[in-house]
Amino acid sequence: MFKAYRAAIAPLWLAASLPLPATAATVDFHRDVRPILSDNCFACHGNDESKNRSGLRLDTPDGPSADLGGRFGVVPGEVERSEVYKRISSDDVRRRMPPSSSGASKLSPDEIETIRLWIDQGAEGGGHWAFETPTRPELPEVDGEDWARNPIDFFILDRLSVESLEPSPTAPRETLIRRVSLDLTGLPPTPAEVDAFLADDSADAYEKLVDRLLESPRYGERMAIRWLDAARYADTNGYETDAERYQWRWRDWVIDAFNNNMPFDQFTIEQIAGDMLPNATLEQKIASGFNRNHRQTGEGGTIPEEYAVEYVADRVDTTSTVWLGLSMSCARCHDHKYDPISQKDFYRFFAYFNNVPERGMAFKYGNSPPMIVAPTRAQQAMLSAHDRELAAAQKRFELLADKAEAEQRKWERKLAQGGPVDWTMPDRRLTYFTLDTEDGEASAVDGRVPIEEGVIGRAASFDGKGFLDAGEVAHVDFEDKFTLSAWVKPERLDGAILSKARDVERGTGYGVYLKNGKVQVNLVWQWIERCIRIETQEPIPQGDWAHVLVTYDGSRLAKGLKIYLDGREAEPNVLHDQMTQHFATKEPFRIGAGNGQRFYGLIDDVRAYSYPLSPDEVAILASSAPLNAIAARPAAERSRGERDKLRLAFLHQNAPKKIRETWADTFELRKQRDAMVDSFPTVMVMAERPQRKQTHVLVRGAYDAPGEAVEPGVPAALPPLPTGASNDRLGLAQWLVDRSNPLTSRVTVNRFWQMFFGTGLVKTAEDFGSQGEPPANRELLDWLAVEFVDQGWDTKGIVKTIVTSATYRQSSKARPELRVKDPENRLLARGPRFRLPAEAVRDQALALAGLLVEKQGGPSVKPYQPAGLWTELGGTKGYEVDSGENLYRRSLYTFWKRTVPPPSMLSFDSAGREACTVRAVRTNTPLQALNLMNDVAYLEMSRRLAERMIREGGENAQDRLAWGFRAATARRPGEDESGVLASSLAHFRDHFASDPDAAERYLRQGESPRDQSIPPTELAAYTSVASLILNLDETITKE
Amino acid sequence: MDPQRETILGMTRRHFFGRAATGAGAVAIASLLGDDLSAVSATGGIPGVPHFAPKAKRVIYLFQSGGPSQLELYDYKPALERLARTELPDSIRKGQRLTGMTAAQTSFPVAPSLFEFAQHGRSGAWMSELVPHLAEIADELCFIKSMHTEAINHDPALTFFQTGAQLAGRPSIGAWLSYGLGTESSELPAFVVMTSKGSGQPEGGQPLYDRLWGSGFLAGRYQGVKFRSAGDPVLYLSNPDGFSSAARRRYLDDLAKLNQIKLEDTGDPEIETRIAQYEMAFRMQTSVPDLTDLSSEPDSVFDMYGPDARKPGTYAANCLLARRLAERGVRFIQLFHRGWDQHAKLPEEISLQSRDVDQPSAALVKDLKQRGLLEDTLVVWGGEFGRAVYSQGKLTDTDYGRDHHPRCFTIWMAGGGVMPGITHGATDDYGYNITENPVHVHDLHATMLHLLGIDHKKLTYKYQGRNHRLTDVHGEVVESVLA
Repeated sequence: MFKAYRAAIAPLWLAASLPLPATAATVDFHRDVRPILSDNCFACHGNDESKNRSGLRLDTPDGPSADLGGRFGVVPGEVERSEVYKRISSDDVRRRMPPSSSGASKLSPDEIETIRLWIDQGAEGGGHWAFETPTRPELPEVDGEDWARNPIDFFILDRLSVESLEPSPTAPRETLIRRVSLDLTGLPPTPAEVDAFLADDSADAYEKLVDRLLESPRYGERMAIRWLDAARYADTNGYETDAERYQWRWRDWVIDAFNNNMPFDQFTIEQIAGDMLPNATLEQKIASGFNRNHRQTGEGGTIPEEYAVEYVADRVDTTSTVWLGLSMSCARCHDHKYDPISQKDFYRFFAYFNNVPERGMAFKYGNSPPMIVAPTRAQQAMLSAHDRELAAAQKRFELLADKAEAEQRKWERKLAQGGPVDWTMPDRRLTYFTLDTEDGEASAVDGRVPIEEGVIGRAASFDGKGFLDAGEVAHVDFEDKFTLSAWVKPERLDGAILSKARDVERGTGYGVYLKNGKVQVNLVWQWIERCIRIETQEPIPQGDWAHVLVTYDGSRLAKGLKIYLDGREAEPNVLHDQMTQHFATKEPFRIGAGNGQRFYGLIDDVRAYSYPLSPDEVAILASSAPLNAIAARPAAERSRGERDKLRLAFLHQNAPKKIRETWADTFELRKQRDAMVDSFPTVMVMAERPQRKQTHVLVRGAYDAPGEAVEPGVPAALPPLPTGASNDRLGLAQWLVDRSNPLTSRVTVNRFWQMFFGTGLVKTAEDFGSQGEPPANRELLDWLAVEFVDQGWDTKGIVKTIVTSATYRQSSKARPELRVKDPENRLLARGPRFRLPAEAVRDQALALAGLLVEKQGGPSVKPYQPAGLWTELGGTKGYEVDSGENLYRRSLYTFWKRTVPPPSMLSFDSAGREACTVRAVRTNTPLQALNLMNDVAYLEMSRRLAERMIREGGENAQDRLAWGFRAATARRPGEDESGVLASSLAHFRDHFASDPDAAERYLRQGESPRDQSIPPTELAAYTSVASLILNLDETITKE
Repeated sequence: MDPQRETILGMTRRHFFGRAATGAGAVAIASLLGDDLSAVSATGGIPGVPHFAPKAKRVIYLFQSGGPSQLELYDYKPALERLARTELPDSIRKGQRLTGMTAAQTSFPVAPSLFEFAQHGRSGAWMSELVPHLAEIADELCFIKSMHTEAINHDPALTFFQTGAQLAGRPSIGAWLSYGLGTESSELPAFVVMTSKGSGQPEGGQPLYDRLWGSGFLAGRYQGVKFRSAGDPVLYLSNPDGFSSAARRRYLDDLAKLNQIKLEDTGDPEIETRIAQYEMAFRMQTSVPDLTDLSSEPDSVFDMYGPDARKPGTYAANCLLARRLAERGVRFIQLFHRGWDQHAKLPEEISLQSRDVDQPSAALVKDLKQRGLLEDTLVVWGGEFGRAVYSQGKLTDTDYGRDHHPRCFTIWMAGGGVMPGITHGATDDYGYNITENPVHVHDLHATMLHLLGIDHKKLTYKYQGRNHRLTDVHGEVVESVLA
């Protein structure tokens, strides 16, 4: 196998950079021929039959030589009879292929020659290489086996020998430790770590170093960030207003999974279908958040069906790109032109992800269902501890239960003989109006609101004109929990009971109304698109007292709203159910008015609570009798609400001290528990509808043009689902990591390779299809892919194999002949040298400055960012820079607003996180220079590095400069470099000495205090040099 | 020694900066790592682009964000007077989809414009009283009254207008041009963006997104650079307090020396590029403040652009800056003026919006013309969609609102090879459907590229296995608007 390879002509992907003559003997179909056919011919002679007029297929093994009525595309060994060759080489523009009418130009002479050689040599064809399950290639025989450290090196050496190139020597140890530390942890080694490594002369010093780095919790953070790019993870919803969402629990799951070295097959299954695993754990459900990281719109006017399709399409695109290295979205509107994926295949794949109980119109703010409460481990522990405390308190109370019972009866007897006494559940009450006096808490507007006999004491009487303005109370919004309650005796069947809303028809705000006797609740931001409206199915009677109570659980869904009539939950009709954003207003709380309507009749005892009352509590409020009246009745004649009311009134207020306090303990602990649970983060997850939603092929990909109905399925050109797998999302997940799947392991190891070498073995990391680049070293790629699976998808293992290879350990110096022969370093005759990714540029500088705060996980943070970036584009409130340790966390915790990403990340080529990104891109721009020189973050880091140089670097300037330089580069400066640093320091010492005021101002950067023990002019001079060090090409480069 | 290496290493620092000073952008772009390394010519841009002689060298795109109503500004519909308050007939609506905001409205009463129209110039263009200054230059303008788009909400519609696709991920027009044509200026980016807030919606109205000037799947260097009115005009441009320009010069000399030592050691051309980029950054520290400092402009200029031109961050000030950018060779200058989303209170809000943009837009065209720049500068004015003829919410004698309307709306162009003083396309009596010469967003893009000498079918970039272009697989050049 490798012999033929060795003899092959220069692969075409190197043709531009490696000017080798194309005279060699054997053409490799996959590497040399198929890319030409794919690029130039498949658009018409490929998978999309609609464009194919001749019937000639060039994308299938048998297609080229098929008999097309006496003519043949290809006749093996007979170039002159092969229509393909005749057409591509024709000088007749009308006959030539590809046709000039398609805008294509003639194939190059090299390409034509390659096709000629291929036909001449027998036109051995085949399908696309990446669709064939990889097998473990044998190690090639190579010279220089003593250089090789593991199988990777054999494949590299074999490839180099074709070009008559030698590998490079091992990099200096300083370079190696910095390279591998940055690669495995995203952070540089400390000078002490460098010293220790230099001093370790054991044979396996490097392996031990790698093991240490792989065990560091920083490893998970480093590996996670590229996964977040692929998973389009962000802290905002991504469309229009682009408000905040809360998905960081999923991010933290990823970090943990890498750190625990979760096997990649499990990593895959839990993220694709963790929710569907039997007895799925909280963590497995969180993992499934992978496919909820896509953008979601809550923009007004959105047609929900349109975006419901987009979300699913995003899942298909992301899943197929990340695992299969295929952009299936090409087949959304028509059959894929290059790869064997039909439009039907696309929608069958789509069907796996089309069964989520979700809405196309998402909540504009916050997470959208399906979502779960997802406490962190610390929070789970806190809750368990709290529950133990609560259980103990309850036990203490139970011990007193008999005594309490007796005491209560005693109290009741006394109560029954006394005057009127009542008790009103004061806890968490937002507002309360007895309406017993005319000049009470609320003021009458538009006329008098007289007081008459009520249901509890007296009540307010409304004439359809006047109402009560209670001022700015009961301010609740769409994510708040609350209860609203009132007694009403309506004279007419329409009117407003209470509201906090604009007093115009359909005005923004909340309110409780009567409509034809039915109780109606409105939560409105904008009628009719962004509101919830429910009403009772049954009316309340006219002219009688009724108790009306509404609870809302903050879910932003109609089902989170309940109406109770006379203490019993009423069956509602849901009239509108699309509350995507805030409905709070600055309007007053109005009794007897709202949305331009008024009330006719009596209203009494109006209340609001800041939590949804339980049915038992509702029953208490619906019991109008005062305590003394209840107590006067025999127990059997008391309603349940009345019984509970008595009991609670006793325990809260009237029990003997010990009982009262013991009760209060349990009560407070329960309340604290509610608050605790409310404070837990939520995370959006995948879920399945109880009944499968039918998927259709969408004609031209349009949401409103459903065609043929389809069932879930994997692309026909790939292996079927593994035996025993269910044909659902879980089965799909198992299929992705089944041994027969030709793509997942190749695509995955290729991304790891890209992380460490800058470019994947397949450069088009996102595209392993026909149009992607053939692998630079297919045997190596296949060996890695098979090894990965054979070792149980051991991520740390394969990473270790890569970074302990001799290939990885080479010096990255570009020898002159390599600069010419292989400028992009695809052959790997030298080690990788490329600029650090965006987050590592910043994280490294934070570490050098001694500012880095290493706290793992938690909500995203807001480090320095120039003022006004969010507000000038509108949407949400401005960016509020955090203070303290949140300024110095690693960059993967930086708050990511998709429509205005953090500028210092974006300018260093980070992914935008609007869509799945798997290919690394690097540019080199003046904006990067400005960022590193002038951003307050880097100025503060420079000052802090300067302080460290002075404090830790030694006694004299030379040592201090060398210390700073070495901290950043892991090596000591050369003589010429020391000279430049010393001269720079001397210059800036003079400069600031002559302008001490400027020094003071220059040092005033960032929140952290400066070291007052260092004279400002001296510190300013060092700060300037420290900034220089942070700006060095070498500092921001891994080499 | 290898000749190529010799070239890299043999350059003295002076030589280096000498070269950088005249073409740092070129050095930078040529040696950037990227997929298109071999395809990018030494002067930036792609070899063979432009494909033919361009009529326009640059574009100033005055984007009116939110969807300005064509019915109150440019598309005169006298028939609406007698149709006022009648229901929009099904024969006109044709069951076309509406946004979720009005789809469930039970009534669609026709609302005529509250503003008067008159004919202007020799061309006799109908324009409303809201744009008196633009009316004065009616004969310079080329109206397209038959624009249409596919999206009906802001986010997808803006994204579609800017990138040719409704969903995020594609390069913006300016990014395509930077990629194709490279940069003309060695001191300024090829693609500059400025934003302003509309007086009609002082709380902001619809937001904008970085992706509107993003580079999508093209390399990040092609994205638009936002010039800001507050703080640094370009992010991180200013040296910190206490660190003078002279200090920065010395600092950069020292930095270059150290990087040069490394370059000689490793032979990595990225280092050479990095040195050049730091020099470019230094030049930007002078050139950008020079550009944004309007103090050298005479009073007569401010009189022309209007009083707002003295207030940084206004649309008027941005128009004046746009002219200065055009003079300095910036290829694609895009202004975004927010606040055109008149679902309610349309008469009041659109008056304020029009006052923001009328005089400065007209002044910009006049100013370009008097400086001889209009002939090779394409000016485009328009939003992401238009507004519907029926009232959203209550229709009264003095008030109404309009929902989004993608089926027809008006934009205008001027200069840069466009036929002045004409109107292309027409709509029906309701201003609801196009009756002749529809122009799709892809057609507009194709036409803009054509004016810049680019065949829109040939400016492509291979991503995810497919040759992508701004116009996807669509777009026809609108020949009849070409001069």
